[in-house]
Amino acid sequence: MNELISGFKQVVPSIPYIVSGIWVSLGIAAGAAILGFIGGILLSLCKIGRIKLLRGLANMYTSVFRGTPLILQLAIAYFGIPQIFNMGDVNPLTCAILTFGLNSAAYMSEIIRGGINAVDKGQLEAAKALGVSYWPTMKDIILPQAIKNILPAIMNEFITLTKDTALVSTITVTELMRRSQIVAANIYNYFPPMLISLVMYYIIVMILTYLGRRLERRMRRSD
Amino acid sequence: MIDAEHIYKNFGDIHVLKDVTLQVNKGEVVVIIGPSGSGKSTFLRCINLLEHPTSGKVMVDEDNLTTMKPKQVIKVREKVGMVFQHFYLFPHKTVLENLIYAPMKVKGLSKDDAVKRAEELLNKVGLLEKKNQYPNKLSGGQKQRVAIARSLAMEPDYMLFDEPTSALDPEMVKEVLDVIQSLAESGMTMIIVTHEMGFAKQVANKVVFMDDGRILESNTPEAFFSHPSTERAQDFLEKIL
Repeated sequence: MNELISGFKQVVPSIPYIVSGIWVSLGIAAGAAILGFIGGILLSLCKIGRIKLLRGLANMYTSVFRGTPLILQLAIAYFGIPQIFNMGDVNPLTCAILTFGLNSAAYMSEIIRGGINAVDKGQLEAAKALGVSYWPTMKDIILPQAIKNILPAIMNEFITLTKDTALVSTITVTELMRRSQIVAANIYNYFPPMLISLVMYYIIVMILTYLGRRLERRMRRSD
Repeated sequence: MIDAEHIYKNFGDIHVLKDVTLQVNKGEVVVIIGPSGSGKSTFLRCINLLEHPTSGKVMVDEDNLTTMKPKQVIKVREKVGMVFQHFYLFPHKTVLENLIYAPMKVKGLSKDDAVKRAEELLNKVGLLEKKNQYPNKLSGGQKQRVAIARSLAMEPDYMLFDEPTSALDPEMVKEVLDVIQSLAESGMTMIIVTHEMGFAKQVANKVVFMDDGRILESNTPEAFFSHPSTERAQDFLEKIL
C-alpha cells in the first residue's frame, strides 16, 4: 500500500507528459478514420458495382485486412516492408496512420455497403428518372441516407480505432500508452502511470460517444 | 412521340412482356389498365429504360433508347418524367430541395432560377406553404403531388405515371388525380398505369388493356368501357366495376 502511495507521488510530475500523449493517439485515430472512411466508401462502391474485377479485388482486400491481426500488419508495415524495399528509416507515425487507415477501410467498407443496400432501391430509380447520373446520385442521394443509418456503427468503428491506437506503442510511437510504459520504467512502478492512461482512454471514448449521439440527433432532423 | 415496338422482357424464365407495341403521339394521354402482374408497370419502366427490354425497340422522338449508350439514355430521361407508386421523394431533402436538385445538377440552372420554378410548381399543386418541410411531415397525397412537381421541374415533354394513387388512402386519391388531370388539360403527353377506371374514362384519349404480358385491346375510352371486344377485358371490367 505504501508503495502504491509513493508511486502516485512519483508519477505526479510525469502526468502532463503522459496526458499529452492523448494528442498523438487522437491524431492517429483521426487520420486513420479519414483514410478509412474515404477508403471504405470507395471499396463499398466497388463491392456493389457491376465490374467483377473491382468487386473481387475489394472483397479480397477486406478479407486480408480483417483476417490478420492488426498488430502484425503494423509490424509488417514498419519493420518488414521498409526492409525489403530498402527504404531506410520510415516515420513510425505515418506508418501507423496508413496501416490503421487501410485496416479501418476494410471494416468501414462492410458497414457502408450494408448502409447503401438498406436504402430503398426506389431512391436510385427516382434519381435516374430525373436524369441524374451515377456519381451525383451516389454522392447526393444514396450516401447521405446510407451514412445517416450507419452512424452508430461508424461511431463504434471510430471508438475501436481510438483504443487500438495503443498498439502503435509497439512501433516506437510515443502515444498515450507508450508514455505510460516509459514513465513506469523510470519510477519502477507500473500501476499509477497505467491508471492515468486508462482514465484518459475512457474519458476520450465517453466524449466521442457523446459527440456521436449529438451528431446522430442532428441528422435525424428529417425524420 | 414515344414509339415502343415489339417489346419483350424476361426475368429469368418468366416472360413478363410478350411483343408489346404502343405508339403515343404528342399531346396524347394513354391509360394502361389490366390485372396485377399483367406487365403494365414493367412496360412503363421499359419506356425510360429503368428496365432494359430483352428485345424490341423504344424510340423517344428521334432517339432509339435501346441502342444508345447508358450516358445518352440519361440525357433522354431528362425529357421523360416519371411518377412512382411509392413517391420516392428524397427523405433527407426538404420539399423545395427535392424540386431544385435535378434542375440544378442536371440542367445547370442557377439556384435562383430553380427556386423560382420550383415555387411556381408547388403553387400549382397547392403545396407552396410546405416548401421547407421534410417529406415525412406530408400526407401520402401531398407527397405524390410533390413528386409530380419534382418531375415537372425538369420540364419534361412526356410523363409516365406508375399507379400514382395505388398507395394512397382513399380520401387522398382525388387531390392527386386532379393534379394529373390539369396536367392532361395543359396538353402534356402522358402514359398512365392506373386502377382508377373513372379517371381513365375522364382523361384518356386511348385506353390500353393489358393481360399476361400482351396488349389485348387498345381503343377510345368510350368504346372500351361500353363494349370491350375481348372476353378477358369484359371479365376484368365486370369484376372491378
